[in-house]
Amino acid sequence: MSPGPFSALSRFLGHFRWAFMPLGLLALIAVGVHAAADTLDDRLLALVDLADAAFDRVVGRYSLTAPLVDLLSLERRTTLARALALVWELTADAVLALPALGYREETSAPVLSSLHLPRRDTWRAMLVRCLRKPTTMRWIRPLATALVAVAGACTVARLVQGSVYLSWRELLGEGVADGVARGLALAALAGLLWRLGWRAVLRNLQHADAASEQHARGFARAFAYGLPGSALVAPLALAAALDASPLWSFVR
Amino acid sequence: MFPRHVRGLLDFSLAILCLWCAWHHTPAGALVRRTSAWVLGSRSTARPLLAYYDGVSGSGVSAPALAPVAPPLRPFTDSEALAYGTHLALKGLSPAARAPAFALAAELGIPSASLLDEIRGPAAARKLHESLASAFPHEESRLTAVFAGPVPARYAVSRVAAEGGAPNLERLSRQLPPGFEDATVAAAQALALATAFGLAWPVPEHTPVTSPFGYRHHPILGTRRLHTGVDLSVRVGTEVRAVAEGTVRRASEDGVNGRVLILDHGRGVTTAYCHNSELRVRPGQRVARGELIALSGNTGRSTGPHLHYQLELSAQPVDPLRFRPRPSPVANDAAR
Repeated sequence: MSPGPFSALSRFLGHFRWAFMPLGLLALIAVGVHAAADTLDDRLLALVDLADAAFDRVVGRYSLTAPLVDLLSLERRTTLARALALVWELTADAVLALPALGYREETSAPVLSSLHLPRRDTWRAMLVRCLRKPTTMRWIRPLATALVAVAGACTVARLVQGSVYLSWRELLGEGVADGVARGLALAALAGLLWRLGWRAVLRNLQHADAASEQHARGFARAFAYGLPGSALVAPLALAAALDASPLWSFVR
Repeated sequence: MFPRHVRGLLDFSLAILCLWCAWHHTPAGALVRRTSAWVLGSRSTARPLLAYYDGVSGSGVSAPALAPVAPPLRPFTDSEALAYGTHLALKGLSPAARAPAFALAAELGIPSASLLDEIRGPAAARKLHESLASAFPHEESRLTAVFAGPVPARYAVSRVAAEGGAPNLERLSRQLPPGFEDATVAAAQALALATAFGLAWPVPEHTPVTSPFGYRHHPILGTRRLHTGVDLSVRVGTEVRAVAEGTVRRASEDGVNGRVLILDHGRGVTTAYCHNSELRVRPGQRVARGELIALSGNTGRSTGPHLHYQLELSAQPVDPLRFRPRPSPVANDAAR
């Protein structure tokens, strides 16, 4: 394709950034959250087992409540653990991914793709407020978003690599398909982190900053406001970093 | 790196890539797909929501449904158990999903139909495994090769190696793009079945079975309900041993199961031991095959000293006697 139509197509698509960028950010975070949640279901099952054992110990003491011991079979416990993982993931999506829908850019020069940032919403200004007026939301939400965005980018890159290698192998030959698949996976990983990842973090920081400014005045409010949501996403973010972000595997 | 005038296209492509991934690979995407299908009155192709956490058992026939009707005539070696599990899992697959295994069989000159044959099937499946053994020494990667094909399996193994860690089925299946779900489900079923065939017995071999698996009138409650394991008639204090290596998932006591142990053997196989008088292990502890884990008893809702032994495949109870090579004597004739 010559640079002319290529550039025209790019400019044309740039007019729709208001639609695809928020959705893209939302999807990247959702993929990352799922990658993290998927690693937690076994641990949730262990927790459900512990809770069920304690429950059975209590209800098993009395003949009236003893039948409740059979309430949770192993099959039901497994289903319950998965259902908990699902609820956890969807709630984390609501906490981390939904704010991405509020992403806005300058409308006058859409292709420039810079965030529309009033002076008080620049990285620097918001980071200064994080340090001077720390709140649970200001620290946990952007950090969690950053970690799940990396996990999301790894998942998408892995999918690109597998799809390209297995579908192009017969056409291009083993060596070429492998090289192309690795190259595209790395490109997808770098591109996602460069073009979408930081925007997702910035958007979440903006959201957390605005919410903190409005609701989290005073030490107690700064700590408590948004605490349940932050407590919910923190373990997922940790799982995303430890178990779902094989960054180095793409260069091995 | 990229001129500004192409960034619109780049961002659009990356956003679409993320949306495609979220659409097909997250429960949130499945929810949107199901809702849109409901609104449009069409049929959704999204997997059940909870299957997104299953890793390897999202669809198809469950492993217990594939369990053999009759127990094996003699103890299996590991390779025989794997071959028999492969044969049973292949039988449960749709014709389209059997294609990679059939293609592999054709390469080796094995008639496809023999893989599904009751008599010749296990031997044919064993030949498949033997042909792949040098390229895929690890059982789980070999099963992936049988059900998904050698090329996708080799790719998945190399990616898991790049990420670091053992090539278990869950990690291997994560490397494969859409379209391999049935293959990984079947591989997981074959592995669970093969593992179940290799289990030992928790008490001495000659121990009579006083109440078999299946629906029965409960001796205490008087209602008809599924007896999810087998009752083994043993004296109080009889040693109960782990049927395979695994991790203690639960060691607790309640008024119904008494002192109960649950061992997770991995590969979708779990065993439970109820009504013990004493537990010798703690939750989280690793146990070896044959290790003493409890002393049998008469605790909980029990009419006499016995061990309730339960086997679960993919979290569903299954008759352990269907996996036990030699039939054990049944004390209660009416229970046959």
